[in-house]
Amino acid sequence: MLVNLLAIYKRELRNYFVLPWAYVIAAVFWFINGFLFFSIVFGDDGVIRNAQFNDLQASSGIVAGQYDAAYQVVTVFLATVGSLALFILPILSMGLYSEERKRGTLELLATSPITNWVVAVGKLLAVVTFFIGLTLPLMVYIVVALSAATPPVSTQLIFVGYGALILMAASVLSLGMFISSLTDSTIVAAIATFGLVLLLSLIDLIAKSPTMIGQAINQIALIKQYQEMIQGQVTSSGLVMFASYIVLGVFLTAQSIEAFRFQRS
Amino acid sequence: MKAAIKFCLKYAVFLGVGLASAGLIAGLVSGNWDIVATGLIIAGIVLMGVWLLFIGRLGAPNQPNFWQRRSTQVGTNALVSTLSVLAILGLINFVAVRNVYRADITETQQFSLAPETKQVLKGLKSPVKMYLFTRDADPNDRILLDRLTGQTKQFSFEYVDPQTNPTLAQRFKLKNDLVNKDVFLERFSHFENRPITQLVQSINPEVRLSESKIVNSLIRVTSDRRPKIYFLQGHGEKSLKPGKQSISAAVKGLTDRNFQVEPLSLAQTGEVPTDAAVIVVAGPQQPLFEPEIKLLTEYQRQGGNLLVLLDPRTETGIDPLLKQWGIVLDNRLAIDASGIGKQLNLGPAAPIVQTYSDHPITRSFSNSISFYPYARPLEILEVPNVRPNPIVITNDKSWADADPDAKPVRFGEGDRMGPLPIGVALSRVVLPTATPSPTTANAQPSPSPSPSPSPTPVSPSQEARMVVFGNTGFAMDGYFNQAINGDVLLNSISWLSQDDAQPLSVRPRSVKNRRIIPSQELVLGLFISAVIMVPLLGLITAIGLWWRRR
Repeated sequence: MLVNLLAIYKRELRNYFVLPWAYVIAAVFWFINGFLFFSIVFGDDGVIRNAQFNDLQASSGIVAGQYDAAYQVVTVFLATVGSLALFILPILSMGLYSEERKRGTLELLATSPITNWVVAVGKLLAVVTFFIGLTLPLMVYIVVALSAATPPVSTQLIFVGYGALILMAASVLSLGMFISSLTDSTIVAAIATFGLVLLLSLIDLIAKSPTMIGQAINQIALIKQYQEMIQGQVTSSGLVMFASYIVLGVFLTAQSIEAFRFQRS
Repeated sequence: MKAAIKFCLKYAVFLGVGLASAGLIAGLVSGNWDIVATGLIIAGIVLMGVWLLFIGRLGAPNQPNFWQRRSTQVGTNALVSTLSVLAILGLINFVAVRNVYRADITETQQFSLAPETKQVLKGLKSPVKMYLFTRDADPNDRILLDRLTGQTKQFSFEYVDPQTNPTLAQRFKLKNDLVNKDVFLERFSHFENRPITQLVQSINPEVRLSESKIVNSLIRVTSDRRPKIYFLQGHGEKSLKPGKQSISAAVKGLTDRNFQVEPLSLAQTGEVPTDAAVIVVAGPQQPLFEPEIKLLTEYQRQGGNLLVLLDPRTETGIDPLLKQWGIVLDNRLAIDASGIGKQLNLGPAAPIVQTYSDHPITRSFSNSISFYPYARPLEILEVPNVRPNPIVITNDKSWADADPDAKPVRFGEGDRMGPLPIGVALSRVVLPTATPSPTTANAQPSPSPSPSPSPTPVSPSQEARMVVFGNTGFAMDGYFNQAINGDVLLNSISWLSQDDAQPLSVRPRSVKNRRIIPSQELVLGLFISAVIMVPLLGLITAIGLWWRRR
């Protein structure tokens, strides 16, 4: 089983590294994020400027003058990367199954002795790995910039924030994978996934009511949980929510491929 | 006719799904599941059920019945397993929401309750309930409330819609308007045999629940008495009313902490009020009269508590009283040459204090800054039965300057090298007999105690307490709310009042002060790699791969 998983994982990952469009996406993603990172830290309205402005106000006694520049960099930048990732993630997940459907290789995969959920997990792991590769340089930027922090900063927040980013990405990719297994058009898969992501990110707007329903909606608000986590609040319920999304996506994908097999047979 | 019915049945499912979703959304958005929402959902479900029943008869006649098809069976299996997985995940999440474990990985524990808050909550002996008269439960408020309820079973809260529960709203005399919504605490007092209510604050979309306000209200609602703090008047002491040379901010801070503040003119009353928890002598400019000193001495001998704030280079006549406690006033001015004060726009005559001794007053301060503009140092002599504790001490680069008018100010002849104590907390065991015994008489300069009616303290305490500051500036308006100056004074009075249920400092959590100071090379290096090199690398690889594929 583990061998099969590894085989699927390797095959999928190789796909990404030989496809030119994956690198184009990476280049665009890196450029936008690099630029935003630079302006968040060093820009005219950036963290360093804000710190100076804060000192100026503190010297005239307007504000208390406490300002953690490193914390600001980590939270603001990770929030930015998170919202940009929401545009990239549907593109990463759109081809996971619909590409196979279009090329007709899904029959082979569906009827092969490898169980459906192993295939799904392998594909998900591969695309998450690709996303980690995509975001790793950004974390290096943060670490380098924070090396100039006085007093020195602990890297705990960066690791937790990055973990949150990966968890959120895995959740979206898992659901995106399911949507991709429903259609043989990659564009439809991408748009539908993006719609779903939009719904999940807007969901906390209607979670205002104090009833149990409101609480339930609050629990499934993906982006809200992510934002809490990058600020340094880790909750058990948040982690359970991310895990639920991932499991749900994998399960639904396996079910959908099962149904596909019976439709054909 | 038959075709029309068939057509209706065939598409009933869409209508059913539509009605059910309309009902769900109506219920979710409005937050209440009234007849309209539930009715729509039930109608939708009935329509879908009808469609399911009749679906078997709608298929083409030459195909097997819908319910007998193999795909239907497989589909039903899939449906059942999908629904059960959804139910299991929902259940797990439900349990997770009910039992939340929170880890706060920020350095200053921004998202955790202050230790003082936990202390107050753990100390609750009877149930206290919070009523929030609003329908809008802010998620951040909920997080705070969950943290509070997580500490103790005695604290609970309830969101109340004032429109649906007018009797409750009336009991609390609500002042809700369109934006501001009141929050109350309620506790049933067995002592007074009635519920005690306390307004916490009014919340609106901008002003959310505040931990500090909740804690202060909790203290107020749980304590049955309000200790009285008397401020001595009549010798040019700092004014209690807002204005010049005023300590009105401190007075407000005290009232917020459930103290009653009263002025006291000893020359007029001729005796110390029996309900005085603490007497404050705040920066007199003229000397106190002899009888007043005697009254205060007698008050202290009975276990009274005194806070003395004194300005440099003023004669107050209180020295003999202080001498009994082993405190001698230094006539020099405390100078701080460390330069830390420049960040706060303070000169060398305002010593910055960052080190505090271990004492209930200062225990929660760690390394926070307080400062004392124009301070006179104190000297501590050993006196039997008195335990002195220098709570506020200047730093190593400070001294007491005998001639501060000389320019430039530097350490010279007649100066005393720091660190200098500016604030001292003292306690003395009170002997059980009211008449002065020979041993205590030794320590007293006045051999004959005044024959005035001796005041009896409210609660016969075991010790008399005193806090002396060689400074009034830190307590005055303008400085009181800066740094932790206010906490120094409020905590001192809390300790003096000997009401150990009074919590010490509760301040909003602040972040650690940290800056990023990058070198030119770092900025340039980051710009080149982040904005140019890394994206370019991706682009070149893409072009290379595309070229090879051709």
